[in-house]
Amino acid sequence: MIGTEYYIALSAIIFSIGTVGVLSRRSAIMVFLSIELMLNAANLAMVAFARAWASEGALAAMNGQAAVFIILAIAAAEVAVGLGILVAIFRYRETTELDLLSEMRL
Amino acid sequence: MLSFVILAVLLIAGSIGVVSLKQPVHAALSLVASLMTLAIVYISLEAHFLAGIQVIVYAGAIMVLFLFVIMLLNVQEQKENKFAWMKPAAYIVGALTAIGLVANILQSPTPALNAELIDTIIAGGTAEGVAQVLFNQFVLGFQLVGVLLLTGIVGATSLVQRKAEIAKIEEDLANA
Repeated sequence: MIGTEYYIALSAIIFSIGTVGVLSRRSAIMVFLSIELMLNAANLAMVAFARAWASEGALAAMNGQAAVFIILAIAAAEVAVGLGILVAIFRYRETTELDLLSEMRL
Repeated sequence: MLSFVILAVLLIAGSIGVVSLKQPVHAALSLVASLMTLAIVYISLEAHFLAGIQVIVYAGAIMVLFLFVIMLLNVQEQKENKFAWMKPAAYIVGALTAIGLVANILQSPTPALNAELIDTIIAGGTAEGVAQVLFNQFVLGFQLVGVLLLTGIVGATSLVQRKAEIAKIEEDLANA
């Protein structure tokens, strides 16, 4: 059985790659994709910790998996609203380049 | 251990594809690949229900939405770039973060895992096991998520709808 620390390390690596994407990408959609990657890294860590907490009983151990379920639902809502905003911005500005979208007004 | 290494390599390769591929569609498909791999990692972590949900919600619904928007907007990253120094800086920051975190994590002690206990307590991470917690401690959060999803649907619909109406009014004014 593979130790929890390896899964957490994998999660940290995925999270760092997501950070690189957020910092280096210039299209808003690509930044969004990288944020999804970071969310998934956090989910992986939580599922790994859920397994590690098995000795504390079912209610404590399954907390992690229930939280991942809620995060999945929130990610779905976030993507729907975020992409709606992106489409609305694109209608006005004809671009999703973040360097060109530095003003708050449309 | 071998299966974990294969999954980890696939997952990291898919993630690097997301941040480095030029074409947005390729990057999105790379993310689909890494999300599918993550679902298999969930199975290896005894979370079968979450693995199914991951495929259905993430790889299915969310990524289809992303691909639709990418194809609708036809995003292409422009050639000229004022912030060219950002890219190598971002990669250096990411590499340093990863090295630091992994070194720290592998050094810190973690409790030993008891395979029998995990089999009886987690019980494969079935929908029943997740629901037992979700409808006890998390019931308020569960209902709030319902409200959030409803708000999200209404918000996304009205956001796109209103802009379309304004665009139509502006078009009519320009024609008049």
